[in-house]
Amino acid sequence: MADRKLIRNFSIIAHIDHGKSTLADQFLLKTGAITQREFRSQILDGMDLERERGITIRMHPVTLYHQMDGQTYELNLIDTPGHVDFTYEVSRSLAACEGAVLLVDATQGVQAQTVANAYLAIENDLTIVPVLNKIDMPTARPEIVMEEMEQALGIKPEEVMAASGKTGQGVEEVIRALIERVPPPSGDENAQLRGLIYNSHFDSYKGVVVYIRVMEGTIRRGQKIRFMGRATDGVVMDIGQFRPSPTPCENLSAGQVGFFMAHIKNLLEVKVGDTVTDALDPAAEPLPGYREPKPMVFSGLYPSNNNDFEALREALAKLQLNDCSFSFQPENSEGLGFGFRCGFLGMLHREIIQQRVERDSDLDLVQTAPNVTYEILNRKGEILVIDNPQKVPDAGQIEEFREPFIKISFLIPAGNIGDMMKICTDRRGVYMRTDYLSPTRALLVFEMPLAEVIYDLYDKLKSVTHGYGTMDYEIVGFRAEDLVRLDILVAGRKVEALSTIVHRSTAEVRGRRLIKKMREEIDRHLFEVVLQAAIGSRVVARESIAALRKNVTAKCYGGDVSRKRKLLAKQAEGKKRMKQVGQVELPQEAFLAVLETGD
Amino acid sequence: MVSPTENTPTLAHQPPVLAKPWVVPRSLYVHVPFCAKQCGYCDFAIAVGRTDRIDTYLDAVRAELARLVPGGENEPMPMDTWFVGGGTPSLLSAEQLRRLGRELAARTPLVAGGEASLEANPESFDDEKARALSEAGFNRVSLGVQAFEPGTLAALERPHDASLVARAVTAGRGAGLSVSLDLIFGAPGQTVRSWREDLRRAMELGPDHLSLYGLTYERGTPLEKKVRGGLVLPLAEELERELYDIAMTTLEAGGYKQYEISNFAKPGFESRHNRAYWANLAHFGVGMGAAGLVAGERTLNTRDLDRYLRLALAGEETAFQRERLDPLEVAKETLMMNLRRVEGMVASEFFDRTGLSLDSVFGGGADALVEQGLLARDNQGLRLTREGRFVADAVIVKLLAGAPATVEGAYPEGAA
Ligand SMILES: Nc1nc2c(ncn2[C@@H]2O[C@H](COP(=O)(O)OP(=O)(O)O)[C@@H](O)[C@H]2O)c(=O)[nH]1
Ligand code: SF4
Ligand SMILES: [Mg+2]
Repeated sequence: MADRKLIRNFSIIAHIDHGKSTLADQFLLKTGAITQREFRSQILDGMDLERERGITIRMHPVTLYHQMDGQTYELNLIDTPGHVDFTYEVSRSLAACEGAVLLVDATQGVQAQTVANAYLAIENDLTIVPVLNKIDMPTARPEIVMEEMEQALGIKPEEVMAASGKTGQGVEEVIRALIERVPPPSGDENAQLRGLIYNSHFDSYKGVVVYIRVMEGTIRRGQKIRFMGRATDGVVMDIGQFRPSPTPCENLSAGQVGFFMAHIKNLLEVKVGDTVTDALDPAAEPLPGYREPKPMVFSGLYPSNNNDFEALREALAKLQLNDCSFSFQPENSEGLGFGFRCGFLGMLHREIIQQRVERDSDLDLVQTAPNVTYEILNRKGEILVIDNPQKVPDAGQIEEFREPFIKISFLIPAGNIGDMMKICTDRRGVYMRTDYLSPTRALLVFEMPLAEVIYDLYDKLKSVTHGYGTMDYEIVGFRAEDLVRLDILVAGRKVEALSTIVHRSTAEVRGRRLIKKMREEIDRHLFEVVLQAAIGSRVVARESIAALRKNVTAKCYGGDVSRKRKLLAKQAEGKKRMKQVGQVELPQEAFLAVLETGD
Repeated sequence: MVSPTENTPTLAHQPPVLAKPWVVPRSLYVHVPFCAKQCGYCDFAIAVGRTDRIDTYLDAVRAELARLVPGGENEPMPMDTWFVGGGTPSLLSAEQLRRLGRELAARTPLVAGGEASLEANPESFDDEKARALSEAGFNRVSLGVQAFEPGTLAALERPHDASLVARAVTAGRGAGLSVSLDLIFGAPGQTVRSWREDLRRAMELGPDHLSLYGLTYERGTPLEKKVRGGLVLPLAEELERELYDIAMTTLEAGGYKQYEISNFAKPGFESRHNRAYWANLAHFGVGMGAAGLVAGERTLNTRDLDRYLRLALAGEETAFQRERLDPLEVAKETLMMNLRRVEGMVASEFFDRTGLSLDSVFGGGADALVEQGLLARDNQGLRLTREGRFVADAVIVKLLAGAPATVEGAYPEGAA
């Protein structure tokens, strides 16, 4: 049985690119879990895509053994994702820890996710070990950054460790501080078993691998267990720790972190946040779970080629095996044929899923404009959840139309405050406050509709601040707003796939912009094509595409036939791929016009 | 009619009465690529400044024909039509023209009453050449006038002087040749008034046949590069349309009947050679850059003069591209070509040619077009309305897009 006093469970939290993965690899190196030769970088970022984009998405727990002062400590490190879309995963890993290394890039200073993640750690009662990273860089400004840490988070400069994940400088000291400052886990290994499922993944050979933090009691190979939330039973077939490769052991006791397998075939059978107990001697109360991540951003995902529908379904199902936060269900769009409505945690999540599907399955995909989840309180007093503009009922039935609001924080150079304020107020943002971390850097806080953020706010922030600004947000709830469904009519017919939900005040501008964009994408026809944007029966914008007046090959003799046939056949093929709305052919680009908001 | 299951006949030994005209060529096209200078809009296969190679070129044509008609002079293949195009075939001297006639007649003699045309540019066509042409067995000359108005000629970067046109017409007629004129409309800067003037002057010369081509900015031509570079402004689409409209109305009023998108003739003077193209019938294509269609196979000769000469003289393959179409592609091509004719795609001809019913392949796409007044449909078949001619390509594309993905019962290509 492991000696609890020698165990430390911790996460590393940081703003993206501040060096979390690199430092984690240093820990592996310093504790001998990997050799210098293996220390290429970022062992823990398993998936290609993560390595490519430098974003940790999935947590890989790892157990390290460290010798210090004649003792062998068991250090369980849980790497966390660094993007706002995956905040819920950060809170999950923090719930399995007693401490967190808060990493701040000494050249970049405190950023929006530094603040957000630090607060998450504080809320979870974790002991924070603040570390100033990248001090090997000539552009490091340790004094200024330590001042920012004090201003923003109340961290005293004398607590801050200095290190370099790259050179390894200061890393041993960070480990020492961890061991000295972070308390060992509490909990009785002889009590009734209560283990927190903080993650899981699907392995095509072993089935579902469940990640567990044992809070009380002991879990053993062969033990009959019960998932308390699901009320299902199983038998522990295999149990082990990641050191960093999966290494079997006989049991895990209170305070320890590891994994087990219990012949579970489907990831959906295991609920992250559930409590595992002994089926024969069950605990009375489950552990406090997590709030479930709810998809906040939706969009349609369609195969470019309608024949690929089943292949897409398979690809999505496969992806879902390892990512329960992603949801999908079949839908049929007049414009795009058969596809799926997918729910994502955020825009990055959406992009990652699309790339993964395209890469793993070799399918060409079309995505519709993203939208957020809305709520409608209808006249009958029912609340309808609207994840698709097509589900919005007639205006007469709507009592209240609600949309998700977020609290959004920007950490920006003080000189950009004015610009950012304008961008936010243009997007219906409500100003909350400004905190100065230093005379030159400020934290700007707004509340605004999530819908206004998902399109391009991040890009706007980056361009206004020349890349120096960062942001973070959290959902604060649904609020009633003056929202309407904006419909698009092509030659008098409503095209469902083009409907969007917008604030009434912006409907006209949006509508005009949208049909202008569509106008560029739609070929001229043999007749005039009228495009309209409408709210209910009121037309708010109109454009027309003039009819084709002359389109004829003047010369066509023997030598021109092949070329001409190929040309016309190609055009005909192009038409076939278009979506027919009445007599009008709409290219896929026209459907994607909804994505373009521009200014 | 011969049943579709019959075997593909071999070319040379097929008695002409039994040979299907889309299998065994009854038309011969010969390309003569030489030109004095490149015109601004030209993307034909041409060789500028190489007239010293003409004699060698005639050797090469002879050699290529020998390859195509293996039976030799003892088993010639009779032709209903010859067409010598270019380039500028009138750059050949009178003697060279006579030789050309001899070479063609040796293996591919023109049948009695056949049609033999040659393209000529006014500045290189005079009495002497007209007589030589007639002696060589030709009976029709197609003059590349393009325009009379100096502004239009300049915009087209066309070398000749309009005053030479009358001389060329007189020369042709004097030698007993039927005369056709080519004009281009839609050149940058052209106006309704200047186009009417061009038409008036052309009709005043009393040709038997007129071809009126809307200017096309072919990619890579000097004129197209200028347009792309913003140096030249193409006409507005509405004006182009008006010019075409004027052309149809004016010629029709002057006694020239339209029989194809761009072609008009006095009764009985339609180009039989070109009609064979639009009916999608077999033809030999001889010379640099020439295209042939024989027994369902399309061939395209190399567009490089030296390479052509080398290969042809060595008795080697001159085509750099060969393609054989599947039945559905044949059907599409047949429709595309036939719809250019004023009589359109005749259903019975379509069936003869493909083994398919016109309605089952293209009927689906036709409905909306008929409704829009662009296409006419009756028991004879499908044809463009006058309105439809302005947008013929878009109409054809619509019909092609409406065709099923596969067809059953089509003839295997090349079958008679
Ligand atoms: N110079 C220097 N570069 C570092 C250091 N730590 C990380 N980096 C670099 O910073 C970038 C981001 O590091 P990474 O560990 O992926 O950050 P993460 O997004 O927080 O996981 C990578 O290019 C690293 O090589 C450091 O201590 N010094
Ligand atoms: S004369 Fe005819 S072939 Fe020669 S360059 Fe001019 S357009 Fe082209
Ligand atoms: Mg990382």
